[in-house]
Amino acid sequence: MNKLLCAILILALSACATVKKIESGDNLVGERLSVTLDGAWNRLDFPSIKPAQIWTMEGVTIDEFLIYSGIHDGQVMHPEGPIGGKQRNFAFHSAMQTEEIVSMFEGVLCRDNSTFKLLKLEPYQFGGKKGFRFEYERIRKVDNVQLRGVGFGAVDRGELFAMIYDAPRLTFFPRYQSKVEAIARTAVIKAS
Amino acid sequence: MNRRQLLSAAGACCAQALARQVHAQAAGTDYAAPHRFGRPDVATDEGGLWSMMDREERSLRRSPLVLRDEKLVSYVQDICCRLGSEHCPDIRAYVVRTPLFNANMAPNGMMQVWTGLLLRVENEAQLAAVLGHEIGHYLQRHSVERLRDAKSKSALAQVLGAFGAVGALGQLAVAASAFAYGREHEREADRIGAYLMHQAGYDVAESAKVWSNLLQEVKAREGGDPAQTASLFATHPAPPERQADLEQIAKSLPGGSTGDDAFAERTRRFLDDWLQDEVKRGQYAESLVLLTRHIDHGKARELMTYYRGEVHRLRGEAGDQALALADYQAAAASLDPPAAAFRGIGLISRQQGQRSEAVEALTHYLDLAPDAPDAAFIKTYLAELTS
Repeated sequence: MNKLLCAILILALSACATVKKIESGDNLVGERLSVTLDGAWNRLDFPSIKPAQIWTMEGVTIDEFLIYSGIHDGQVMHPEGPIGGKQRNFAFHSAMQTEEIVSMFEGVLCRDNSTFKLLKLEPYQFGGKKGFRFEYERIRKVDNVQLRGVGFGAVDRGELFAMIYDAPRLTFFPRYQSKVEAIARTAVIKAS
Repeated sequence: MNRRQLLSAAGACCAQALARQVHAQAAGTDYAAPHRFGRPDVATDEGGLWSMMDREERSLRRSPLVLRDEKLVSYVQDICCRLGSEHCPDIRAYVVRTPLFNANMAPNGMMQVWTGLLLRVENEAQLAAVLGHEIGHYLQRHSVERLRDAKSKSALAQVLGAFGAVGALGQLAVAASAFAYGREHEREADRIGAYLMHQAGYDVAESAKVWSNLLQEVKAREGGDPAQTASLFATHPAPPERQADLEQIAKSLPGGSTGDDAFAERTRRFLDDWLQDEVKRGQYAESLVLLTRHIDHGKARELMTYYRGEVHRLRGEAGDQALALADYQAAAASLDPPAAAFRGIGLISRQQGQRSEAVEALTHYLDLAPDAPDAAFIKTYLAELTS
């Protein structure tokens, strides 16, 4: 059944998703998050991915780089569609503590009944702000693929800025992890 | 015992058996299982269905979501064998890590049992009720009937057009074996499951409890109407009706064991993982019903209490912080406290500005779990609190 849903999802996505190349150099994500890329990425755009942007190197069935910029208090993460489905919605609240934000992401990433195991949560200077970095592993329910992931985030002026990357653990995650870590290091959360 | 006593006792047993038989027939629970199935010709629709299920099973065997613990798997397999009797050699049980209430059996004998089911049932008899129900579908070959029914519907043509014949049939087979039984099939599987439970020596009265417990959870969900919020109830008989039917059947099939101790022993060491998965579903109202039920029944009380605290903390509604703290403190005061209970106390105390309580609890957490994934972050909280 899951595979059928996946097939429908892929068809639906291919019907309404657009792909755009993100060039090397400075890029503004949303209004306040700036990152500098050393190499191009592909950006997919389809309605249900909001409020994140989704970037990929190999295609979203392989690797996903979710970027959240300026998520405001009470905003629901991926309120509809393939990530949301009929499952519970998770919302960001500006009063959330770091561990609560990470739990929110765990919930979002498990919404398709994938498993999630937190491997590490540590302090991290993200975008010039006091933030956090976490590592995890996940088994994607739809295709049983074992993924590794890394996330970064910080809250500034009550808004959440975060990046999450995951990919199959044996080949693709090791291939792109250093690129993602480099992008996280270049992140700047602007004042306005 | 002399010959007269022996004959008298035998007569009494026969009379009891006869009385049960009469009751069983009246309740529709008298059942003669078919003999073992031979492999159908691959050229037939049933043969094709088996082949596709074989492919699904090969894929399932490789899945990292399948639990490999030999003791747990053989425990579940043994229950299937007790229920399936002659069909035991044809049933292959797989425990799949998915935090939802579900088990299903494919026509080729592949039985999937999800960990969300194992977390929810209270004893072996309740697990046997669900497995017996699935074996009932298998024995009556309901999935083949469903496949034939589905094939006759125009929707199939649309699916074929979209995905091609092979892929569509493969998925249809999965759907037919897992989810698409009609209400009559469900009623029949309930009756057969109860009979198999009884034959295997389980207390049939436990089967009605499975559904009433599940109904309480689903009612707690946002929306509340089981038929609207849970697909399981959309295709199954209305839960009150089903519960009443099963209670009636149980009266005609008295006796049997619940297997509380064996079930607790076999599942205890997996509870922490399964509860983590449960909390991550984010269905907090349902989880609270589940956890409170287990706490009330004394099942792994310290662990259940800790996770109820987690659910309250993560839900974060008015009053939840106090409820979470109370649960963490209760779990921490138990004989075998989970280390994370001290983490919970520390996190809430920190938010409430109770510095010394926070420092004490977080320090104790790190003492108990120095390699915890969040240890580095907790140390930054401690540094802040002590600066």
